[in-house]
Amino acid sequence: MNEKKIKSSLGTILKYVVLIVGALFTLLPFVWMISSSLKSATEIVRVPPSLFPEEIQVVNYAKAWAAAPFGRYLINTVIITVFTTIGVLITTVLSAFAFSRLNFPGKKLVFSLFLATLMIPGEMLIITNFITITKLKWIDTYQAMIVPWLSNVFYIYLLTQFFMQVPETLYLAAKVDKCSDFKYMIKIMVPMNKSPITTIAILNIIGSWNSFLWPLLVTNSDEMRVLSNGLIRFQTEAGSSYELIMAASCILVMPIIIIYLFLRKYVIEGVAQSGIKG
Amino acid sequence: MKRRRIGAMLLTAALATGMLAGCGDNGSSGTGADEAANTAQPAESTDAAGTAEAESGDAQSDTAIEPCEITFWHAMSEQQEVTLTELTDQFNSENEYGIKVTLVNQGYYNDLSTKLTANAAADTLPDMAQAYNSWLIPYLDKVVHLDDFVANDYDNYDDIIESYRDECSQFGFIAAMPFNKSTYVYFYNKTLFDELGLSAPETWEDIKTVGEAFKTEKGMVSLGFDDMAGMLEASLRQNGGDYVTEEGAQFDNETGLETVSFIMDLYSNGYARLVGEDGYFSGPFSNQMIAAYIGSSTGVSYIDTSSGWELGVAPLPGNKEKAANQAGTNLVMFSQDENRQKAVWEYMKFLTSEEATVKWAMETGYLPVRTSAYESDTYQEFMKNDATATAAYAQADSFFSSPAFDGSYDIQSAVNAKLEELILNDADPETALSELVEAVNAETK
Repeated sequence: MNEKKIKSSLGTILKYVVLIVGALFTLLPFVWMISSSLKSATEIVRVPPSLFPEEIQVVNYAKAWAAAPFGRYLINTVIITVFTTIGVLITTVLSAFAFSRLNFPGKKLVFSLFLATLMIPGEMLIITNFITITKLKWIDTYQAMIVPWLSNVFYIYLLTQFFMQVPETLYLAAKVDKCSDFKYMIKIMVPMNKSPITTIAILNIIGSWNSFLWPLLVTNSDEMRVLSNGLIRFQTEAGSSYELIMAASCILVMPIIIIYLFLRKYVIEGVAQSGIKG
Repeated sequence: MKRRRIGAMLLTAALATGMLAGCGDNGSSGTGADEAANTAQPAESTDAAGTAEAESGDAQSDTAIEPCEITFWHAMSEQQEVTLTELTDQFNSENEYGIKVTLVNQGYYNDLSTKLTANAAADTLPDMAQAYNSWLIPYLDKVVHLDDFVANDYDNYDDIIESYRDECSQFGFIAAMPFNKSTYVYFYNKTLFDELGLSAPETWEDIKTVGEAFKTEKGMVSLGFDDMAGMLEASLRQNGGDYVTEEGAQFDNETGLETVSFIMDLYSNGYARLVGEDGYFSGPFSNQMIAAYIGSSTGVSYIDTSSGWELGVAPLPGNKEKAANQAGTNLVMFSQDENRQKAVWEYMKFLTSEEATVKWAMETGYLPVRTSAYESDTYQEFMKNDATATAAYAQADSFFSSPAFDGSYDIQSAVNAKLEELILNDADPETALSELVEAVNAETK
């Protein structure tokens, strides 16, 4: 009895040790970022590096904040993230439902075409998309940063797989009860697949929040730029002000961390179920 | 690093689209650098240049300019952006024509280059931008030729530093006006050098002496290069050799082997080290982890001597010859409209004027672009207290610029990667030379 107790408590200790080590590894970059953002320019490049700043330089945040209109950038980033995410959710749920439940001519062909687009590297599409945006005279507008990202084939593929796991019998039963396709989708499919849908939303939020090149390409005025564009303000051909980059990074990453804290249950569920992470 | 790769891919993509588009309308408006470079008669390849030619000649300087707004895309941050804004505000309020210049910060060089490439493909280039010659190659046909402007409406073109003029007319016509020019200089920790009774090296032999002294007496590395490919090019030229041309590597010979052995020895003997994760040597140098390094003259603002040591700056050491890399971008005109072209030219004249270039140089650490600016009392006074400017000026007659041709951009990254790999593997000089030649030739063929 006693031996068993010792064994199980040993197991618990071991488990915690492993978890703590893992947590430390994961947390270190964040701690490092925050600590670096509070160091002076000299201390940041010192060898051996110090884990905590000698003298806390809160002024870095003020400097970073003043270097670019980050307030405006923040608003833009939020607008773009919210709209693309709503758009992605609508298009993804609708098409995943169509591909998994509905029967229409050419379904397999269309689905293959969708998948085929995944094989083209995004960089190849940038110039073409850019020319389209220019022709539409959308340069320096929100729609230029939102419309091209309103659908995502990878998410559609992902959700289609989840939708296909829902038994066909449920659909037929709903049909017997005179439930329309749309109602079935909203009332049965979506609630049953809450986790993958949330995962998609979160992946999209992260991607949209961090996107750099496209927003830079399609905007020319400071009023339309996004947070990630602000980070390069601290780089010149001869060096970088790392402490300011880190301070700006903290500003940039905070909202995402807050969102994660609120939604972590869904993120973890989604990742655990699908085995896919961002 | 990743962004740089994306930039390179974009360039390729743009080239591909350019080629497709070229088939569409007519053959002559195609892509090739060679094609545009061969255009012997200036101002022929595009409508833009066409208009430039149309209004060239006598009437240029005395025709009034209609008030207009012009856009200038740049990649200047921090203090550089502050000074550029001040200069531009001054131009906006003082010019007699009602020209208003709008500055647009497009990020760092790579980002600006990517933006220019994309906008060239979409035909939406700004009125003017900063650019390196090598960026311009995919869309050289969209660059406005400045020859007529210079000939008819410039106070003293010969006053511009000769190597800058050479760089700007590399394509057979004046494609740009020099602007934010820097050079590589030798930064050293004077306190440590004095302690060991050393002075800044003037020759390759001196570099070895300094290296040995620091190694044995301090256990310290005494040299680093922020730009490896630039270092190779400068060393080859210092040794009387050549680097690359469109045909490929030009250093597969005795001089090349000598140069590469010299470089590899620096690293294998522990005189020099790679920059690694530090990115730039200004950091380790500030913390006295390395006794000296070679980097851009503008890097001086990142060197922190607050831990109590004195900074020394010297011209680059030479061997058979003196040679110092010139870096930094030039001003390029893309405007398609005759009136706006004139407005852009007014602004270019202003930015390259003695007064503006002196202010620019004193506040940013870049170098003046005119001889008269160097000789002006203000700048002479400034140089007395500024070791970097003095060192840069001392080597002004040995400046060289890297050749720009299709693929020159890729050569630079290939050579950087290859050199680093060879040094890490401690390769012998013969292998190093042949692998470097191979890496260069892979990009040109």
